[in-house]
Amino acid sequence: MSFSDSKSKEDVVEALHNVAAEMHDKMLKGVAPTMTLPVRTKTNIGFDDKLGVYKYGKKKTVRDATSLGSARQLLRSLHVTEFIEEMINTGKSSTLREMYYISEAWGNGKFHSQNESNNLAEDLEIVTKCLREDFKLRPEEDGARIIGNVTFEERNRRGDWMRINCRDDVGDSGYGVPYNVESEKLRLVDEDIDFVMAIETGGMFDRLIENGFDEEARCALIHLKGQPARSTRRIMRRMSDEWGKPIVVFTDCDPWSFRIFASIAYGAIKTAHISEYLATKGAIYLGITADDILAYDLPSDDLSKQDTGALEAELSDPRFSSGWWQQQIELMQELGKKSEQQSLAKYGLDFVTDTYLPEKLGHPDVGLGY
Amino acid sequence: MSEENPPPGKQKQIAISEFFEKNKHFLGFDSLQRSLITAVKEAVDNSLDACEEERILPDIKVEINRLKGDQIELISQDNGPGIPRGAIEHVFGKFLLGSRFHAIRQTRGQQGIGITGVVMYSQLTTGGKTSVISKVKEESSAVYVDLGIDTRKNKAIKSGERRDVWVDEVTGEEIAHGLKIRTEMKAKYQRGKQSVYQYLRMTSIVNPHASISLVVRDREGDVIEEGHWPRTTDRLPTIVKEIKPHPHGIHLGTLQRMLREAEERKMTSFLRHNFSGVSMRAARDILSKSELEESRQPRRIKAEEAQRVLDCFQKVKLLNPPTDCLSPIEDLLIKKGLSKAIDSRFASTVTREPRVSQGNPFQIEVGLVFGGDMAADGPIEILRFANRVPLMYQQGGCLLTKAIEAVDWKRYGLDQPGGKGIPKGPAAVLVHLASTNVQFTSEAKEAVATNEEVLEEIRRALLEVGRGLKGHLKKSSQRKKAREKFELINIILPEISKKSSEILDREEPNLAPVITQIMNAVFCEEELGWDNGRKLATCDITVFNYTARARAYTILAKWPESESVRMEDNLLGGRKEARGLWAWRLDTLDPGSSATISFTLSGLSKGDWNDTEIFFRGNGDIIGANRIDEKLLEEMRNREALDAAVEEVRTREDTVVASLSERADYSDEVDSEESPEPDLGSLVIDQGADE
Repeated sequence: MSFSDSKSKEDVVEALHNVAAEMHDKMLKGVAPTMTLPVRTKTNIGFDDKLGVYKYGKKKTVRDATSLGSARQLLRSLHVTEFIEEMINTGKSSTLREMYYISEAWGNGKFHSQNESNNLAEDLEIVTKCLREDFKLRPEEDGARIIGNVTFEERNRRGDWMRINCRDDVGDSGYGVPYNVESEKLRLVDEDIDFVMAIETGGMFDRLIENGFDEEARCALIHLKGQPARSTRRIMRRMSDEWGKPIVVFTDCDPWSFRIFASIAYGAIKTAHISEYLATKGAIYLGITADDILAYDLPSDDLSKQDTGALEAELSDPRFSSGWWQQQIELMQELGKKSEQQSLAKYGLDFVTDTYLPEKLGHPDVGLGY
Repeated sequence: MSEENPPPGKQKQIAISEFFEKNKHFLGFDSLQRSLITAVKEAVDNSLDACEEERILPDIKVEINRLKGDQIELISQDNGPGIPRGAIEHVFGKFLLGSRFHAIRQTRGQQGIGITGVVMYSQLTTGGKTSVISKVKEESSAVYVDLGIDTRKNKAIKSGERRDVWVDEVTGEEIAHGLKIRTEMKAKYQRGKQSVYQYLRMTSIVNPHASISLVVRDREGDVIEEGHWPRTTDRLPTIVKEIKPHPHGIHLGTLQRMLREAEERKMTSFLRHNFSGVSMRAARDILSKSELEESRQPRRIKAEEAQRVLDCFQKVKLLNPPTDCLSPIEDLLIKKGLSKAIDSRFASTVTREPRVSQGNPFQIEVGLVFGGDMAADGPIEILRFANRVPLMYQQGGCLLTKAIEAVDWKRYGLDQPGGKGIPKGPAAVLVHLASTNVQFTSEAKEAVATNEEVLEEIRRALLEVGRGLKGHLKKSSQRKKAREKFELINIILPEISKKSSEILDREEPNLAPVITQIMNAVFCEEELGWDNGRKLATCDITVFNYTARARAYTILAKWPESESVRMEDNLLGGRKEARGLWAWRLDTLDPGSSATISFTLSGLSKGDWNDTEIFFRGNGDIIGANRIDEKLLEEMRNREALDAAVEEVRTREDTVVASLSERADYSDEVDSEESPEPDLGSLVIDQGADE
């Protein structure tokens, strides 16, 4: 089963029509129209043993038109349905942002922020079990950058396959991951690496490149750019599946970075309906850990109110239920501190590549010593 | 008057300028900023008082121009009666001769030393003279004169006097009557809470009959601040009567002086003629309790005897002093004044009945405005007034502020951190104390001194407007919810129906049962408006039945019934349930149907009526209306009947002088009845249930 196995146009249209039919049927019965969808919070994600990732559970929420807000959502869904159907029929596609602007013409069905339109697109994906690619909707989200001795073939705008080595054929900014990384667009053709390292911040990504870490440690470096886009998570998953390479994640030590890791390794709450395509089970959290703050005596900042709240929420997040994570979170709460990746510079610019990363990678639990 | 007040320094020569210098803190000239406010205050208060006495609607213009250094030019002009040539010297040179000292009535000018202080201050700080133009309507030309003060002789020095026609600079028309003062002084113009602007703004709120404007220019002649507060009513404040002192408010010294100066030959007539509230019976009672013979000559009463009389004043039942010596602004005018100065969504005002504390009649008025442009995050604005004079300093130490702090504002929908103190939110609260004798904490007369009775009276008035605010907030939130529901069923739902039918290529469903299921309630919406052509206030009340069953209701609406406000059009008829409460019985409302009650009122001006309350009687709740509390309604009717009876008795008794004491007994009875006053605001039952 591949992520790119698009449903047929007819299937997509039928799935969307079912959403409209639920509303219409309710009104025929003389009750308020509804839309039923899974609860999209941490209370409704569970570990799927078969897939090895976190998926939405059985909790459903019924959005019914008894309040103005919900009624508007239903109306928007219908407008979006009509818009998608039109694109499918005319062979067009649009970005999520374009859809947001197009909604200006939808009167009472218009979106008030792009967040609203993005969320609704996700709602429809979940309800119809289609993907936004099926809806002809593209993200404008910023894909990741990759540097390292790996080779891809990407189909360019003229339809030709273009061979790119992410060490020799790219500049300092690396290879830009396109938003579509499925096999019809991107092929993973060759590699000479031992593992893939995903890095949260641009500053650290650039530091590792300047220090020649990719060659020295024989790895591909991926800059996540914060919370990684779907395509970033998907390409990591494919590198893991198709090349069998371990994925290690190197982030700041704060509650938000933990969530970045969780979205890579276990699946993100917002996209739990497609976790089996996006999440890479077995991805390893390398650091910075709460232990590291103590072990390396790293410069740190006090946790903010929001940080504390986020940590508290993570304690009851099923994705962080393992003993190791619970211990890390509790230690962080105890310290009341957080640290950035770049705090390692306390010991000099080379410390991260000469000491920290070799030590962490060589740890028996990771087993990637070089 | 001047005979009563020998000029100071008769025994000992003190330079008047020295006196001024020593006392400038309570004369209001202690800082450069405050001196300017005080000067404006003296000029404006004089103008308002003069216009009021002559029954002229005041037009007051204040102009402030910065000159070199910290010098400022102040120009103040009014359309008052002007001052006759012969009196100018007296008015502007009279120093420390408080003409109002002995008059027991409510006046503005209890503060400071009047306009003389301004002339004095100008002379002391700049050495300059104050120019006056005065025009009285009986004379054909105006008097132009420059004034200074001879500080040794304590009198005004006139110079450059001439007569000329006085022409308005803008219109070019001759001015019929008025007064213009131009003076220079060392002063500083500052913006903010304690500024000339704020003083005039506050003054305009409590003087809605006045038009006031302010222009401030910098050295270059550019306007840096401007204010214009037009009059909102043509009704001048009622003329206040002077009253005799009440025995409960008198001090020994005053009593002794009155005895000394008495012309009466007998103590009984002395007591009856010189005090208010003392009947023959009471006078005899006082004397017998003081062990004094009724025929004693007042002039011969000794100090310790006077003390006994004073003590007995407290032991005898006395009539309250008359309260017509007070001039309240009246709630409707406060509302107008507030609305003109502050843009708000809601205004509630209350004028309490006059009361007496220690022999002094006093009356409390409060106003509360909420919403609109006011800042939502800071403390509310407090507007304090004593006898229509804004109090701008010492807010914290003032009784009026303490009364505001003594209210649990959270109950009425305002944020009050820690449950006490000045509440926060987009609101302003006005408190006006009218009294023949306002007790201040100090000579500066900026903060009202503590008095439990006054505090309690203010607190009660605040609770009343607080209830109004609470009702308003509840209603706005209900109204918002109802609006959303209406938008949902009237706009969004039909679109959902249309769009889903189009997508699926199906017939559109019948939405009536869907709407009933979504709403499942009866809604009531009222709209108050203004018919400009007919000068009528309009009210439309619509009741929608969105339930699956037929409903029958009686709808009741509050309206500002009074002698001058009448109901004009009222097609549905209905009947009066109580004063200010009308009821209509509606025909049965079938599911999905609505009914509208419309009526109009005459005797109001545009904007006078912008809030009503709707009640109902019948089965099933109505969103947007409250179920009427029949018990309270009954109590209200009883009280009305009682009031009517009292009124009748009064009218009859007014012709019989001897019945005075009976009346007192009766009114005492009514006063002591400490039952809660039922008012329309409390007609709602189950208030707690839906919160």
